[in-house]
Amino acid sequence: MTKKRVVTREFVLGLIVLAFMGYMSLTTQFSSRNGLFSMMLDVSPTIVGAIAMSLVIFTGNIDISAGTILGFVSFTAGQLAVDGIPMILFVPAAILVGMLLAGLNGWITVTFKVPSIVVTLAMNMVHLGFYATFLPNSGWIENLGDNFTWFGRGMFFGIVPYIFVVSVIFAALFIFIMKYSRFGKSVYAVGGNRQAAIYAGINPDSTVMKVYIVEGLLLGIAGLLKAMTRSDVLPSSFQGREMTFIAAAVVGGVNIMGGGGKLIGAVFGALLVYLLSTAMIYMGFQDYYQFALQGVIILVAVFITVTNFGAFRKKLTGNGPTREGS
Amino acid sequence: MHELTAKRAGFRVGVTYQLALFILLVFLVVLFGVIQPVFFYPDVLFNVTAIIGEIGIMALAMTFIITTGGIDLSVGYNLQLCAIVFGSVFARIHNVPAAAAAAVLCGTACGLLNGVIISRTRIPPLVTTLATMNLYRGISMIVAGSATYSGFPGSFKAISSTFLFGIVPIQFVYLLVLFLVFNLFYARGTLGRTLKGIGFNENVLVFSGINTKRTLLFIYTVTGLMCSLAALIYLGRLSAATTSMGNDLNLQVITAVVLGGTSIMGGIGSITGTFIGTLIIGVLRKGFTLLNFSGNIFNFTLGVILIIALIAFALLEERKKTRSRAKS
Repeated sequence: MTKKRVVTREFVLGLIVLAFMGYMSLTTQFSSRNGLFSMMLDVSPTIVGAIAMSLVIFTGNIDISAGTILGFVSFTAGQLAVDGIPMILFVPAAILVGMLLAGLNGWITVTFKVPSIVVTLAMNMVHLGFYATFLPNSGWIENLGDNFTWFGRGMFFGIVPYIFVVSVIFAALFIFIMKYSRFGKSVYAVGGNRQAAIYAGINPDSTVMKVYIVEGLLLGIAGLLKAMTRSDVLPSSFQGREMTFIAAAVVGGVNIMGGGGKLIGAVFGALLVYLLSTAMIYMGFQDYYQFALQGVIILVAVFITVTNFGAFRKKLTGNGPTREGS
Repeated sequence: MHELTAKRAGFRVGVTYQLALFILLVFLVVLFGVIQPVFFYPDVLFNVTAIIGEIGIMALAMTFIITTGGIDLSVGYNLQLCAIVFGSVFARIHNVPAAAAAAVLCGTACGLLNGVIISRTRIPPLVTTLATMNLYRGISMIVAGSATYSGFPGSFKAISSTFLFGIVPIQFVYLLVLFLVFNLFYARGTLGRTLKGIGFNENVLVFSGINTKRTLLFIYTVTGLMCSLAALIYLGRLSAATTSMGNDLNLQVITAVVLGGTSIMGGIGSITGTFIGTLIIGVLRKGFTLLNFSGNIFNFTLGVILIIALIAFALLEERKKTRSRAKS
């Protein structure tokens, strides 16, 4: 057993996020009501999506089609809302669509033992083609009424959006599940060492399958949180969101090779990615700098995670951990 | 020329498979020809070989990478960046050779960056190239803004609008030459064996004293170079560089390689298969265009084909594995 460290990576990341926020509120309009409100509005779907992506990455897989699944989810919700179906029905229906699509990714990956990156990359194209070919107006729905947007636009005390509360609840729930439940431990085990997991009595295939379905559930929620803030839905606009989720996860210290990292890190990662892109907008950079920024963020973060700095530290100081664990 | 040495616990990309692929190709040509008789016209058939120039060249290099068990998701946006660099350099100095040199340099540098990260750090290829894909896309958007570069001189357009014997598109000739060169290295040289070795078990090669890092660096750089050549050929045909070109080429290139029988897990592969796979994609694209199907239906179909091919190969390998186990 290693002794419990107080200054974990996630702790440092949290401090960085706080310092960043402090700096931005001193130098910009960030801490005004509008700045904070739009942060909570924008970051909520990213938090839930980053948790979904992190769960998949924990098992050593990935989901490139996460963004386009969000598109299907929001289309389902929007179409049903236009048809006058009450929220109590269209929300579960949309989440179910997310679970089915993510479950399909998981099923193909597990059953045929094909790398998830290629399957989900192909799925990404299949989804995009599906929008344009089979959905009316490429899935574009406008003039959504209050029965759709009241939740996304509602807020407590005139400042805290409902959707932010939802995302915090789900974040807390999954942090708890991953830390204490049997399921959480088995997810880390499968990603860390598949063979050892099998010897410990864990069925890796069914674990990965379950993770994909849970991912679908979370993506369903993330898609709803994003869609319900607006009165129109365009599925293809969600393309590329998966990169934000992956960036948030790896910045949060989730090991892209699987088996390592914490969900609280992914939550901080989502905040940090949002803050960085907002800072760039305040600094007057165009929107398309985001692509380059996300690429660099992912590379740097993954480099830091997979490089064994423990050994380096040991060389310098003569002691220290040799490996960062989960 | 057939590649038969790639044994991996008894599996190989057999001549039978390549024959089946070829029959599929002929079947598709006949199918489209029956639906749309104009498809049988020689210039339409040869147009198929013109539109696959750029994906074919990238697919050859991609076969090297996938054989090692890696992948390069950045090829489409690398091509886009090269085209944008060509366009912006040409817009400033109006000199085709200088602009082409800049594009080739840019593509090779992008490939080199991928190679350095993949061979020198422990970051897996798929994550590296997923990140650099966004990086290259971002850079090309930063360079171009909303500009569209066009107005290239006829002497440049000639590199992909000339016809050999008045009918064979020149880019098909480039593709054939590159195919022969790549096949030579892949099937005959030590490079091919090293690549398959890396895909099968890299550690064994490292302990046999083979510098696998250098090989990996080399093939990713070559892929970058091929992307820049593909960009030039593509530009010669399209005659305008925009930030939307190359967006969906990734999937076409990967589908061509996987359809050609190269295992996505690494270790087995075939350049000939990739070549036939590329032709199949070209026939599909031309056929869909003639049937007035949109590009979205094409991408949708391609995605489905890729998934089916992956599943089919996985099942095939599984069956061979159980059979070889039953024998021993």
